[in-house]
Amino acid sequence: MIDFLLEIGFEEFPPALLKRTAEDLSAKVEKLLVDERIFYRSIRAIYTSRRFGSLVLGLTRKQKPQIIEIQGPPKKLAFDSEDKPTKMLQGFMKANNLKLSQIFTKKIKKGEYTCGKKEIAGANTDDILCKEIPEIIRGLEFPKTMVWTKGGIRFPRPVRWIVALLDRRPLRFTFAGIKADRYSSPNQHFSFKPIRLEKPREYLILLRHGGVIADPNERRRIILKRIKQAAEKIGGKPLYTEEMIEEINSTIEYPEVVTGEFENQYLDLPEEVLMAVLKVQGDLIWVKGSNKFICIFNGKKKAVQNVRKGYARGMAAKLYDAYFYYKNDLKQGLQNMLAQTKKMMWLEDLGSLYDKATRINRLVEMFKTVPELDIDVLKRSAMLCKADLLSQMVREKDFTFLQGIMGGHYAEACGEDKQVAAAIKEHYLPKFVGDTMPKTKEGSVLSVVDKIDNVIGAFLSGNRPSGSYDPFGVRRNGYAVVSVIDACSMNISLFEIIDNLLKLYNKDFDKNIISEFFIERFTRYLQDKKFRYDEINAVLAMWKGDVTDARIRCEALKKLRGKPDFTKLVIGQKRVRNILKDIKKIGVVNEELLKEDAEKKLYKKGLETKSKIKELFQKRDYFKILNLLLAMRIDIDKFFDDVMVMCDDKILRNNRLALVNYINSLFSQYADLSQIVIEGENQQE
Amino acid sequence: MKESYTFENIIIRLKQYWQKKGCLLFEPYNSEVGAGTFNPATFIRILDEKPWNVCYVEISKRPRDGRYAANPLRFQQFYQLQVIMKPSPSDIQRIYLESLEHLGLKFKEHEIKFVEGDWDAPTLGAWGLGWEVWLDGIEITQFTYFQQAGGIDLSVIPVEITYGLERIALVLQDVPSVFDLKWNNNLTWGDVYRQNEMEFSEYNFERADPEFLISLFSKYEAEAKKVFNDGLVLPGYDYTIKCSNIFNLLEARGVISISERAKMIGRVRALANQAAELYLKKNSEGKEEKSEEK
Repeated sequence: MIDFLLEIGFEEFPPALLKRTAEDLSAKVEKLLVDERIFYRSIRAIYTSRRFGSLVLGLTRKQKPQIIEIQGPPKKLAFDSEDKPTKMLQGFMKANNLKLSQIFTKKIKKGEYTCGKKEIAGANTDDILCKEIPEIIRGLEFPKTMVWTKGGIRFPRPVRWIVALLDRRPLRFTFAGIKADRYSSPNQHFSFKPIRLEKPREYLILLRHGGVIADPNERRRIILKRIKQAAEKIGGKPLYTEEMIEEINSTIEYPEVVTGEFENQYLDLPEEVLMAVLKVQGDLIWVKGSNKFICIFNGKKKAVQNVRKGYARGMAAKLYDAYFYYKNDLKQGLQNMLAQTKKMMWLEDLGSLYDKATRINRLVEMFKTVPELDIDVLKRSAMLCKADLLSQMVREKDFTFLQGIMGGHYAEACGEDKQVAAAIKEHYLPKFVGDTMPKTKEGSVLSVVDKIDNVIGAFLSGNRPSGSYDPFGVRRNGYAVVSVIDACSMNISLFEIIDNLLKLYNKDFDKNIISEFFIERFTRYLQDKKFRYDEINAVLAMWKGDVTDARIRCEALKKLRGKPDFTKLVIGQKRVRNILKDIKKIGVVNEELLKEDAEKKLYKKGLETKSKIKELFQKRDYFKILNLLLAMRIDIDKFFDDVMVMCDDKILRNNRLALVNYINSLFSQYADLSQIVIEGENQQE
Repeated sequence: MKESYTFENIIIRLKQYWQKKGCLLFEPYNSEVGAGTFNPATFIRILDEKPWNVCYVEISKRPRDGRYAANPLRFQQFYQLQVIMKPSPSDIQRIYLESLEHLGLKFKEHEIKFVEGDWDAPTLGAWGLGWEVWLDGIEITQFTYFQQAGGIDLSVIPVEITYGLERIALVLQDVPSVFDLKWNNNLTWGDVYRQNEMEFSEYNFERADPEFLISLFSKYEAEAKKVFNDGLVLPGYDYTIKCSNIFNLLEARGVISISERAKMIGRVRALANQAAELYLKKNSEGKEEKSEEK
């Protein structure tokens, strides 16, 4: 048994990529070992800000041997008339070191052949790793890379050393111009002298001596312990998130802790601002309610005094700025900022931010009948929602992400209704997929309308997305629109909002282009909700713009599609569609012209079903509706079996077509079921 | 405080250090710039493949960052020490860290952190990947591997190291505010620059005449274009720098909207890109002529 250590060293890696790259690398090494039949006892991913790699213990020196079947001459040529091996077979046996007793025959396509089994000795683990490890490193994928030497390899940051030790020997390979060797690098706060490694097993301990805790899980435990202890000493609750801890863990090699403080007056700042300052000042952890922070730093205990002083200075400068902006903004007031938005252009040729707010304010009129929604609150928050973009706080780049949040604070401070402040505060939500949704009805509507307006603005100003080009984040906006509408189950038509907004722009623009964009976004949203594309197509084919409604329809469809009746129904619908495809003019059913039992029964069933589902549509009980439609299946099948639709009698024929159309119209109210793909069916049709 | 920690001695020591590492000691540019990167000793010299190692102090003007001398760490004007090494040496990070040791900093007593900070200068069509270097939580250096400048992908990658001199001195001298920094043994930074900070803050935020500045911007831009058409890189680039400074002033004055801002940045970048292309064109022409002569 031998061990293997791979460590790629670089200048500080982007923290957001570190964990997943290290885990990806180890997963690939593991897959390699499995695929190559190399046994190992354990593997773990290691990483710090300056290295990542894998530590594999208990490997076999060689691959497990492999038994393969090899094909000899055809049976006809392998044995002579006396069933003795021919020269040809003897040659094959000799070449492969096989005895006659080991030869057997096998029928394959070309005929019957002789075969033998051969054991192939496993290759050396060493050789396999030498060949494959560089390929694995090269195969790592990154969103953003750089070059540092002319014509050199691309990587997120410059690679500076590679340790690849198999047992006691370095693997022979070169990556990014660097030869794999046995020298690692210590924490630069401890020493610059490379660490010489004799064998992989001493890696963790020798690195620890060099000020590096290479195991991320261990480092994480230390970080959490240190935060806990520091908070207990201060006597408060530390405020942090999982992401913050991961970020800290990815920017250090050896966690030490220090606490510091800032002036009490800064506790007047809104909590979001304080948290933002603590974050930009290096993921400092606030002890809630106090003027104290906890700082995890990379280095030696000896540095505590200087680090405390330094971070506190950094905080003081940044808090000074934040406080300065905050006080000035309050002095100015939201109403003044609003006045200034008249002078701030929103998008070229599309007016000012004030015009945008006015547009939203006018549009939201259409929501005045929505229950449990305060239209006055909505209108006021619409008017004020962009004013904070003129505040000093939001104009500073460290705090720009507080747009909306600051507006909410300023609104409240300036005596606006609390509900108005709440709606302003949350109208930028959700900022990304999976982000929090607005909680209030007014905030939700504001969020939706503002984002649709952003999309329309981008299209009108010639910035529609294409390929990777989406400077205004229009796709994200579109996705957020449908998520918010769905999350608060509002019954509003997306198309109606688009229509009304476009009218307010007074510009000549094909609204279908924008509707299609939203249909595409909605499709993506439904796909993410795990609906199948044909379910989505079926429902959206009949879509009138109500997001929540379409989602509920998809759900019912998904629930029912497993039933055997369902498949038959869909086949029936496809038939119906084919029959109706080329018919241009279709009348209404004349009951007196129905002759056959099957058609009479079907019509009766249709009438019954129609009256039953009418009420259900109002209740949106799509599951029941679909079940009722499904119950028509027997009568539909019987009709098609017994009745000749395309008969010679023109009057009868037209009446039957009208019946088919009538039945079809019942289904169309729900979805275009003919879009459902049935297993085994050619999707292209 | 050690005498070697005076502001002027820090500058001298850093220059000596980089001189020993093979850098040409250069001087600041003679026109207002927002960063040492604008100096032709960086922007122009990094464009080609010829080795270029240089070190100089630059006076960096950032009108928006003025705080009327009331913030201990932010001002509308400060000093940078700019180092360019092209091609970037493979042990450049260590060379940099040792420059801090050379100043007298003991790593065991501080935290030095390389914080991811991708850098881009939209007015120069330039970007690179690198870090902000933090000394005990205070940014003291921007460390960047340039990838593009003037819209041109660089093939020989330069490393740019920009020290914030006041901030380093703050830590070394252990004073709470830059205004308390000892420049030499008699005078502080505040003695030298307080009035400058207060007056320029007032000018930048309150007094600068937007119309005057906008007309200057257009005139400088027109002159730059004309000079480029005459085939002159450096005079044209000189006006590009002036445009950039005017833009910074206008931004501080708070009179340009988001979309206007994007447009003006685009106009300056177009000039910078033109300077870069023209420089490379002239240089490659030169080579061809020479080879023909042979």
